[in-house]
Amino acid sequence: MKKIRTFINNSNLARFRFYFQIVAFILFVYGGYLSITISERLPVFACPFNKVSGGTCYLMPLQHQLHITLNRFASSGGLHLLKGFLIFAGLSLIFSKGWCGYICPLGTIQDWITKARKYLHISFATYDKTIFDHLKKIKYILLFLIILIPIGVKNSFVGLPVLPHDIFPPFCKICPGRILLPLFSGNTSQIYIDFSTKTAMFMTASGIIVAGIFITGAFVKKRFFCLFCPMAVLLFILSKVAFLRLNKDGAKCTRCGNCYRVCDVGIREIADDITNKNIVKDDCIMCFKCVEACPENKCLTVSFLRIPLFTSTETGFFKRYTRKSHTPPDSRSVK
Amino acid sequence: MKNNFPVNNRFKNIRESAKSSLLLEIEKSLKEIKETFPDNPEGMGYFYKKFSTVLEKTSGIYNGKDVIGIMCIQVPEELIYAVGATPVRICSGAYSMEQAGTELLSPKACPLIKSTMGSLHLNIFANGIEPLMIINPTTCDQKKKIGEIEGTSRIPFYTLELPPSKETEEARFYWQSVVKKLAKKLENVTGQKLTRKRLKKAISIVSLAQAQFRRFYNIRKKWPVILGKDAILVSNAYFFDDIISWTYRLSLLNDELDDRAMKKQYIVSKKAPRIFLTGSPSIFPNMKIPVLIEQLGGIIVAEEFCSSGRLLYDTVAVDEWSLYDMIPALADRYLKPCTCPSFTPNIDRERKILTMVKDFFADGVIYQSFTGCQLYHMEAKRVEKILEKYEIPMLYIETDYAADNTGQLTTRVEAFMELLQNKIT
Repeated sequence: MKKIRTFINNSNLARFRFYFQIVAFILFVYGGYLSITISERLPVFACPFNKVSGGTCYLMPLQHQLHITLNRFASSGGLHLLKGFLIFAGLSLIFSKGWCGYICPLGTIQDWITKARKYLHISFATYDKTIFDHLKKIKYILLFLIILIPIGVKNSFVGLPVLPHDIFPPFCKICPGRILLPLFSGNTSQIYIDFSTKTAMFMTASGIIVAGIFITGAFVKKRFFCLFCPMAVLLFILSKVAFLRLNKDGAKCTRCGNCYRVCDVGIREIADDITNKNIVKDDCIMCFKCVEACPENKCLTVSFLRIPLFTSTETGFFKRYTRKSHTPPDSRSVK
Repeated sequence: MKNNFPVNNRFKNIRESAKSSLLLEIEKSLKEIKETFPDNPEGMGYFYKKFSTVLEKTSGIYNGKDVIGIMCIQVPEELIYAVGATPVRICSGAYSMEQAGTELLSPKACPLIKSTMGSLHLNIFANGIEPLMIINPTTCDQKKKIGEIEGTSRIPFYTLELPPSKETEEARFYWQSVVKKLAKKLENVTGQKLTRKRLKKAISIVSLAQAQFRRFYNIRKKWPVILGKDAILVSNAYFFDDIISWTYRLSLLNDELDDRAMKKQYIVSKKAPRIFLTGSPSIFPNMKIPVLIEQLGGIIVAEEFCSSGRLLYDTVAVDEWSLYDMIPALADRYLKPCTCPSFTPNIDRERKILTMVKDFFADGVIYQSFTGCQLYHMEAKRVEKILEKYEIPMLYIETDYAADNTGQLTTRVEAFMELLQNKIT
């Protein structure tokens, strides 16, 4: 048991993650070919517009279930909504934000774009952090709108007219997943601008623009889109009670900032927070690169139902960081 | 190189006499370290020899590479290795050099500064090196000003602008740009290009040294198999030794210590008070306090000095192995975890001392502060307060490089040891 643990702690998690993501990508994007439907309440962007998707992203059914008149919330509609949410919550609880870092196809695509950039030795963009701190709030606004707009399409509030129907489903209309993921199965039908009404035109055009931003954003900044992802908010709320945890022992931390340095989404608290045990923040994608980069024994720990899975260790760190250097012991100084 | 440096007969005479008294000092200190203690590890032989021949100009050392002098631990050594040069730390612990330096500085200045000043002025360095440039980080006031004093040195100084705080993102980005500029400067000075491959190799060479250094500390954590005076010597040798041979020799020493630990061949009894040393750095030949502690029956289990414990502890983590990410990563490694008292606030130092005292099972802390070293003096109170909270006894010692006040020191350290002994039993 101890041997297995050392083996895992010394392992190269980044490589494991790379292959895991490929497998997950195949499963969730091409699962339909094998008639696999993992779930229809998935906490990842497995887009149903891609006909061979291996499941359905929860945001789609969520918007549909909210797309009802108010009185139905008290009856069957409410029940459906609740049931859907419970399935979603159950799935989220298992892997928590690990869904983002290891499974989400959109996340994987961004990581591949980053890999391509790394290969070309092109630098990522450095930016003013305060601006991003403001921009990141967009994901909360998006989630709010995802809930509000479908209700607003069916109901009128304080005498205001209902929202035009072709705004629905609002998030799917602007989601880059709708445009990009079907492309992987050769389906180009989603690349269009609907000129039939003003709203439709606005929404579909925004969709194309967002997809463009998604690709360029991923090229200049790691996991750019994840900072604006409304699913991340839902997962973050549930992560406080999830099975998969990322814990930090502040007493062991030297605040060297290695973890912050390698963090794709730039979470500063991972290095500076020495009081909180649960270190998962709203942007965290649980890729656990921080654990790999931490040279302090048992400072950062990934655990599942309180069983430690992967822990930061000194030997693991040096193994990973000196792996490629085979510097032989010096013989010329031996006399 | 500046040629207006006065090299007259007086200078030559002073230099010669300082050099001979330095030799005597080294011999005396080394003799004390070697001979007043029985059963020194065999692996220490290499390090003792390094120090006994420290002033000899060894041909072929550093493989004929250029040498860049560095002052504090905030200089990114990897960059220097990557441009095909070798960093040599020139901070001095010699009393004879201090006397030479006093001429140029206020008598109230810190002995480390005066000593370094003396060796710069007289151009006396380890291995007889001739540095192309001296990189001087703006740490404490005294250190950062010495490059400006007329007649300090014939070697050009490069001021590395260290931010006074390390907490903010602004400081971090500022420091990253300073390090980028240093990389350019090093390319100019050595005429070699900094490439991705070479920097990557440099990082891994230093990483290997760090791994051995941490292993050394882990051994000291668990078993009393090596005395602190030897441990300080080992880290002091890193200042001027070739990094690859140093790493190799330390790995041999580590193997030997592991072996000794297996055989339970302890260097002191398990009841000897375990001392944690912190404050102004002990640099050979100024080993007064460490030697005194261990002559009185204690064992130094760890030091939080910029000349030893802090020296090679912190690591570099790089996400993208290209220059654009490696250089900022290096910058971060030299800024963020650094517990130099020149940073304000510096809570990391208190935290580090506390964790180390706990991890190394230390019974008490001895805080060494050089006369005239403001920063360590000013932090002493805070450290004492926090240690008091956890009921860890601390002895504050103000000292300098002169060997004449040992009588009084002995009494104080002895009393402290007795206190610890009573606490243990």
